Amino acid sequence: MSHTLASTLMNLLLHTLAVLVLPPLIPGLIAKVKAWLAGRSGPPVLQLYYDLAKLARKQAVFSRTTSWVFLAGPVGTVAALLVASLLVPFGHTPAPVSFEGDVILFAYLLGLARFLTVLSALDTGSAFEGMGAAREVSFSALAEPALFFGFAALAKATGSLSLAPMLQAHGMGKVGHLSGPLILILAGWAIVYLAENARMPVDDPNTHLELTMIHEVMVLDHSGRPFALVLYGASLKLVVLGALLVDPLLPRLAQGWLNWLAFLAALGLLAVVVGVVESSTARFRMTKVPQFLLAGVLASAFAFLLLLV
Amino acid sequence: MRDITLLLLAAGCWIVAALLPLVPPRKEGRFSTVVGATGSLLAIFAAAHALLGGTPTHVDFSFWQGPVRLEMDALSAAFLLPLHLVAGLGIVYGLEYWPVHLAKGSGRSLRFFFGLLVTAMSLLFVTRNGLLFLVAWECMAISAFFLVSTEHLYPEVHRAGWVYLVCTHTGTLVLTASVILLAQRLGGFPWVPLPPGPIGRLDVWILVLSLLGFSFKAGLLPLHFWLPAAHAGAPSHVSAILSGVMLKTGIYGILRVSTLLPGPPGWLGGGLLLLGAGSAVYGVWNALAQRDYKRLLAYSSVEHLGIVAMGVGLGWVGRSSGDPLLTALGFGGAIFHIWNHAIFKTLLFFGSGALLHATGTRNMEALGGLAARMPRTALLMFPAVLAVTALPPFNGFLSEWFLYRGLFASLRGGDSWSAGVALLALVFTGGLAAVAFARFYGVIFLGEARSAAVDHAHDPSLLMLVPMGILAVLALALGLLALPLLAVLDRIVAVLAPGSATPLASLVGRDLRLLLPLEVGLLALGGALLAWLPRRAAQVETLPTWDCGYAAPTARMQYTGSSLTDGWSVLLPGVTQRVRSIRALFPRAHSFHSVVRDAVGDDLVTPWFGRLTARLLRYHRLQQGILSIYILYVLVALMAAFLWLLLRAKLPG
Repeated sequence: MSHTLASTLMNLLLHTLAVLVLPPLIPGLIAKVKAWLAGRSGPPVLQLYYDLAKLARKQAVFSRTTSWVFLAGPVGTVAALLVASLLVPFGHTPAPVSFEGDVILFAYLLGLARFLTVLSALDTGSAFEGMGAAREVSFSALAEPALFFGFAALAKATGSLSLAPMLQAHGMGKVGHLSGPLILILAGWAIVYLAENARMPVDDPNTHLELTMIHEVMVLDHSGRPFALVLYGASLKLVVLGALLVDPLLPRLAQGWLNWLAFLAALGLLAVVVGVVESSTARFRMTKVPQFLLAGVLASAFAFLLLLV
Repeated sequence: MRDITLLLLAAGCWIVAALLPLVPPRKEGRFSTVVGATGSLLAIFAAAHALLGGTPTHVDFSFWQGPVRLEMDALSAAFLLPLHLVAGLGIVYGLEYWPVHLAKGSGRSLRFFFGLLVTAMSLLFVTRNGLLFLVAWECMAISAFFLVSTEHLYPEVHRAGWVYLVCTHTGTLVLTASVILLAQRLGGFPWVPLPPGPIGRLDVWILVLSLLGFSFKAGLLPLHFWLPAAHAGAPSHVSAILSGVMLKTGIYGILRVSTLLPGPPGWLGGGLLLLGAGSAVYGVWNALAQRDYKRLLAYSSVEHLGIVAMGVGLGWVGRSSGDPLLTALGFGGAIFHIWNHAIFKTLLFFGSGALLHATGTRNMEALGGLAARMPRTALLMFPAVLAVTALPPFNGFLSEWFLYRGLFASLRGGDSWSAGVALLALVFTGGLAAVAFARFYGVIFLGEARSAAVDHAHDPSLLMLVPMGILAVLALALGLLALPLLAVLDRIVAVLAPGSATPLASLVGRDLRLLLPLEVGLLALGGALLAWLPRRAAQVETLPTWDCGYAAPTARMQYTGSSLTDGWSVLLPGVTQRVRSIRALFPRAHSFHSVVRDAVGDDLVTPWFGRLTARLLRYHRLQQGILSIYILYVLVALMAAFLWLLLRAKLPG
């Protein structure tokens, strides 16, 4: 009993540590991969940590148009994602909190984060940020069904409505190792991953032209500590949604630390893959983006249908 | 004192509150407000007592030579609770919002019909007699008509009132047929539940007919078309009671009738599930396009009633397939959502009343930046907006969580196809509702003021703010402290499906015990992060929005509500008419405008009624406008009926 309690506590500690410390590494990795592929040396992998440390010390500037809602965006995003991260298992380690129906809470916490970001963008009264908000809500309304169809398919296959058993159903029944439905689900979720994290074929995080941005344009007016929260929240999203993608593919290993290692390696690999994808594709025209997202919806919808019949 | 006696006392209080402004010492209505609010407190106390474990209480008397029973069981109490919460807060709110001593007496008539509406609905929820039910139903419908057409001098309100009156009476006509059939089945007008048994063909007819009649009231697709105009045109505290409670009398009727019969067939449950799903998507789809913020709220009511109907359908599926899990989650989720919707929709309508008071316009494109001018209203509307989009940690999330649990369970075991479609609808509804309400809050409260209407806006007085505050606290409290409610919901589900549902506490109790602390943690985290952020007072200078280097942004450059959802307009049914291309070499000035249309109301029903009216005008000759001729018609009709009866008795076979 005491052994399991100790390991649970250890796990919880590791999980919290991973959630708090790890995320800023991922954008750094992606940037490094992109730089290498472009033949540059690129910023250091730890660049985001330096940025966050600098932003935390800097003074924040607020537009006179904004109200308290302006702060609700960054605060709500980080709070919602931190709580959501407690529900996701990292690899084959148990999730800190797991119960039937936690997958719905997870999805709605992501929704809460988006809702508050959109409101804080509208609070500035800027045409650019309004444009970003309009694009964000339109595209996310398509990304959400893709995510949910995947959840529904996994729920139907595993007979559970909790993220941990759904994602850790390795080698179980119809969603076993790389079966048809699982491939479709992961394909759909990969599209969601790129869209939700404002990555290349959907959105370009490095563009300098505000007219072509989606996510970045919503946070133009944030500065100082609120902006640090925005950046940290974005990197946290890369980890939390990344866990959804890599978990079903990881094999279950005997030792706990091996599971952790496998997860971290897989997350790193995911970052490399994202970097490669970003280097090898151009951003879609805005009108193409819904079609791309619809492909994601259809992929996970087919997975769902395959498991329903 | 017994619960039902207390409730009758409350109904008496409301009658007095309705009549007081009419009698000679015409004060400004403080006394009648106190009487009405006291009545509501009594009723809330009675309903809460009945829900917290009191046994059903009843009184019997005779009405038109028939025995009548008024009984308060858990199901009645479940509907009386939101009714008197909304009514009690509404009459206090109305004291400031629509004073009694208004020009042309509209304040007094409003107060009178408001009281009558509350009394009629109170009776409706406790009567166990088909005839009295219809009488109460009609009283409710008529007083709602007068309430809706309070501002009948505006042509659109006038029209909305009449369309509502026609619709409600068409519904009542169908209901009358259903009540008569039900009386045949039960052997009389008293509503005594039949023992469980096989479902006959008559039962199915009764259920289908009452579903049709009650859908008119509940605003389910495609019978919702009267609703947006009526709810938008009524005074705001009336809109609150219409949207928050009166729509649900339709749900109550469906539920009550189904408890009297042996049980609904499974296909009807699946059908209601799909109907609800269609309503939910259609409602939120239209809410997305509205520029009138009260119409937006009304369409959102169509959406939420659809969600409630999905819960009821799921419960029926569970009841007919003998799945105790679906029954508990479906019915429990439906009732919980009814309460939650009553709370946040009332708050939203109260808030929109405050907006209307402050700015005088229902067009959201004329507003903006009100968070600075009406900080209290903006703060109180924030939880309502999050709750109506079903975001945690507010109450709307929990009831939809129940429904998701039920739908996923049905996906695994029961009727997987209808559950799959409904699940998709619920997900899509959630996503679109977030768009619609981000637009609602963002365009009205945030950014810069878009017109001069906003210039003199200010927060309303405490009389309007306190009821809103109570509702906002309730929205958060129900979201965080839902655990004790499970036992209460179980009692209501037990009325709806006697002995065939798992207790909710054993079903979701453990999960909620983990979910609710997470929500508290979410709030705590948010608070901690907010404390870490710099205070605004520390800043040295105020600067304009950066706007990518443009130094002189104006309010007209902001995104409007229409532009925010412009990307959807290709998909929205017939919303926009615009100039697509400019062909000339030296084009002149072009303009376009967009109109918001309801695909069912404006494109199907109105033309159809136009054609019908044209046909019926042929019989206009029969209408002479002379009373004696009409009496002659009645006489002839009666004679013909007697003759037919006589002949039928005489003729063999």
